[in-house]
Amino acid sequence: MIELLVRVGFHDVAEAESFDSALEVYKRDRPKISFVDMVLPGKNGVDLTRAIVSLDPKATVIAMSSIINKKMIRESLEAGAKDFLLKPTNEIALSSVLTMWSD
Amino acid sequence: MGFLPRKTKVKKSEESGLGITRKYSLTRGRSYIVEESPPDISFDAFVNIISTPEAGGCARSVGLAISRQHPDFIRQKYGLERTPIYWLATRTGQEVIAPTNLGILTHTLVGFIDENPCAVILLDGIEYLVSNNEFTKVLRVIDQVNDHIAQTKAIMIIPVDPRAFDQKELALLERNMEKIGRPRAA
Repeated sequence: MIELLVRVGFHDVAEAESFDSALEVYKRDRPKISFVDMVLPGKNGVDLTRAIVSLDPKATVIAMSSIINKKMIRESLEAGAKDFLLKPTNEIALSSVLTMWSD
Repeated sequence: MGFLPRKTKVKKSEESGLGITRKYSLTRGRSYIVEESPPDISFDAFVNIISTPEAGGCARSVGLAISRQHPDFIRQKYGLERTPIYWLATRTGQEVIAPTNLGILTHTLVGFIDENPCAVILLDGIEYLVSNNEFTKVLRVIDQVNDHIAQTKAIMIIPVDPRAFDQKELALLERNMEKIGRPRAA
């Protein structure tokens, strides 16, 4: 994912591997766009989306998952996610999302 | 008296919207080839188009998927609840099309497009069709459906594993179709 983001022009990218570390990274870096996997160790991506949006109501969170679970997508959108990407993603889908949601 | 072909009418149904944005901007009345394996981009585009609203004449698209992968697996992975899915396999059943029965395959595709001018067709399993038929016969099916699509607002997406074809066959497949780039996945 990082490699793909770099390839489409995002060179300042941070990565986190759990709910807690993601929140720490978010507080520290305040990224313009956060890609949140719906399946995380510990809490799930909907909880993380909710936590990020409660920290910053203007946060741009993009939910990601390797399966399309409509209930989960709706929950993540209700929690504040702006969009959804199916994994593995690709340059076309990613560029489209970035165009839509980045400044 | 003639025989009515099987699967004369595919029951169509629209997927409920996901509330996400359209990520693939494919032109209506065109067919697209995606050189990839596994067919991730093709399925992503298919699901995205039939699950998102569109400006213009096709506010809502109705999909039809034909795949070597089992319909239950596709429904589960891609959350498709209402889209008709046919399995390319040598089994009997309502949702099965035998790879050797190119007539039924053509009839199913053309019939669906006639019924749904805004149809989105995913034809996955060309390699399997070619392993059961001569390449030229499979190409004829694609060309026939392609011609039909050109007269409607339908879209057809065909994933192709480039390792399964030689250069001449790939060129013939690409001849009347647009190519969706082959970006690397992540």
